[in-house]
Amino acid sequence: MTVPIVVEGLGKRFRRYSEDHAWTLQETILRGFKRHKADDYFWALKDVSFQVPEGKMLGLIGRNGAGKSTLLRLIGGVGEPEMGRIATHGRIGALIDLGAGFHPDLTGRENVFINGVISGLLRKEVDQRFDDIVQFSELEEFIDSPLRTYSTGMRMRLAFSVAVNIDPDILLIDEVLAVGDSAFQHKCLERIDEFKVKGCTIVLVSHDANLVDRICDEALWLNEGQIAARGPAEKVVMQYATAMQKETQKRTPVNQTSKKPDDGTGLKINENRFGSQEMEIRNVQLLNGAGDPVEHIESGESLTIEMEFHAAQAIASPNFGVTITREDGTICCDTNMPASDLGLPVINGRGKTRLRFTRLDLAKGTYFVNVGVYQKDWTYAYDYHWQVYSLRIGDGGPEKSLLYPPQQWEIETDNNLD
Amino acid sequence: MKHSSTHNQHNWSLIYLRDLLRELISRDIKLRYKRSFLGILWSLLNPLLQLLVLSLIFRIVLPLDIPNYNTFLFTGLLVWTWFQTSLYSATGTIVENRELIRRPGFPAGILPIVTVATNFIHFLLALPILLIFLLFAGIPFSEAMLALPVLFIVQFLFTLSLVYFIATIHVRFRDTQYLLGIALLLGFYLSPIFYEASAIPQQYQLLYRLNPMVTLIEAYRSILIEGEFPGFFGLLLLSIISIILLSIGYRLFKYGRSRFVEEL
Repeated sequence: MTVPIVVEGLGKRFRRYSEDHAWTLQETILRGFKRHKADDYFWALKDVSFQVPEGKMLGLIGRNGAGKSTLLRLIGGVGEPEMGRIATHGRIGALIDLGAGFHPDLTGRENVFINGVISGLLRKEVDQRFDDIVQFSELEEFIDSPLRTYSTGMRMRLAFSVAVNIDPDILLIDEVLAVGDSAFQHKCLERIDEFKVKGCTIVLVSHDANLVDRICDEALWLNEGQIAARGPAEKVVMQYATAMQKETQKRTPVNQTSKKPDDGTGLKINENRFGSQEMEIRNVQLLNGAGDPVEHIESGESLTIEMEFHAAQAIASPNFGVTITREDGTICCDTNMPASDLGLPVINGRGKTRLRFTRLDLAKGTYFVNVGVYQKDWTYAYDYHWQVYSLRIGDGGPEKSLLYPPQQWEIETDNNLD
Repeated sequence: MKHSSTHNQHNWSLIYLRDLLRELISRDIKLRYKRSFLGILWSLLNPLLQLLVLSLIFRIVLPLDIPNYNTFLFTGLLVWTWFQTSLYSATGTIVENRELIRRPGFPAGILPIVTVATNFIHFLLALPILLIFLLFAGIPFSEAMLALPVLFIVQFLFTLSLVYFIATIHVRFRDTQYLLGIALLLGFYLSPIFYEASAIPQQYQLLYRLNPMVTLIEAYRSILIEGEFPGFFGLLLLSIISIILLSIGYRLFKYGRSRFVEEL
């Protein structure tokens, strides 16, 4: 049996244009033989080799510019590698540049046909699948309206519906799962699962290492165009996360302990505070159901974590994360603000963010609430407060346990042994 | 240095290419007619207005004394318009379709064909008007008209070969369209559109006839106005040249394709 995707010793070189690169014929001629700064080259991918067996799902992780998307496109046959070889077997479906060829002045129906054919279907095949496509997109009522009357979310839904209805043998996915509301996202993930069951081989590029851990069999971590790690998704994602922590430590400014006035919070750089400080978390409060600051709640009560942040420079799409740990560091809860909830893609100045747990069913004991704000693709932390904010949970079962959910004991006996 | 794959089997089948061509052309045509209020008339307006102006000048201001001048002029204008609009749209062929070109499995080589074909359809839509001109001038339809499809094919191939060149060059030099504008303006005067090729002095005839549009426009006129089959030799030569240019242009385009992906 042939392996659907084989990549051997792949190398891809890009040209980096110098600032005075002549973009017009006029400049080129006027400049004549005068010397100018030559363009230089850099390797976007170096010596990358791997295989993806049939029916497996590979996740590509790595920071921005690590070469993930370049690799994905090369697998799809877009662009020529300078070195090495790629061999693919089977029809390739791509969830890349969804909606390419979509035109706002054409109706949904017209766009489905064009997009379907562009995605590799015959007209006849689009015709047969048309009802399925429209049904999946849940846009039955709007299908004959011009696309310009659709919201962005609706457009993405339509594009995704076309893309998932082409029965590929190999599916390439580039960061598109972030489309639509969570119900639609769930539907898309389900559809991807169905593809896997049918034996479709999938390569997914994502910034979201957790997603890769959750849905991929294997992961490949690219760092500056080279494979940094490859193996079972869980293992690689862990290595990646560890490296990110190291990066954060490296970027945490040293010898600044005295520079930052102690404002009573006990925050000390490199002791319980890490990160580059390009964006700071200034004030963190734990609030109870009534909105009063607390350090103690009963198990099962609600808790709101309020963070004031300040960015001295423009910060694009930061990630906020909160972890609740026990004193020994065991993680009880780890959650991030979904990117779609961030109202402003760029933060410049101050603001507040709140995370509300409707109920916190932790067992009795002392916990820490760790808060952090991270760079857009989780490369490093801007600011991370570790074991600063303690939370005491009372009235919740034995301290040895972790969870104390609402519970009832019942007993039925049948001991009338007469 | 290679990407071996079997996934394109389906993509490159002729039926698939036909479907793709059909969808892309109908997209372009639908868009043209949805966008403008005048719709189909719009693409006729340009040659008709040119006809009006040139006809006034060369029948009244500077009389040229060419029989059936309106029909003569309109034939030249329509043929030239197809050629010119195709080359103008060629500059956008790659740059405006970047998402398509970056899609795995998309046969980018089809885009120049779409450009020429879309403009060919506008040309075909205008042909009935030319036939009306012929009727009014009392010129009989002859069996020579059966040769028209041959002219369409030759002009199509010739234009297409230039579109491949221009599309590729435009990615590298972003001022190609201005230079193209100048070249086309010169081309308009150096082609027998509003005058007869025979008006060019004898000693310049050979040089003048290096312009393939001379052969093409004269062939159209010979079929439509004179009712005679056009000279076989000139068209054969033009076909051979077009096919050679086309194979070079297509190769250049393919070579450029991997660079388009990076430069767009």
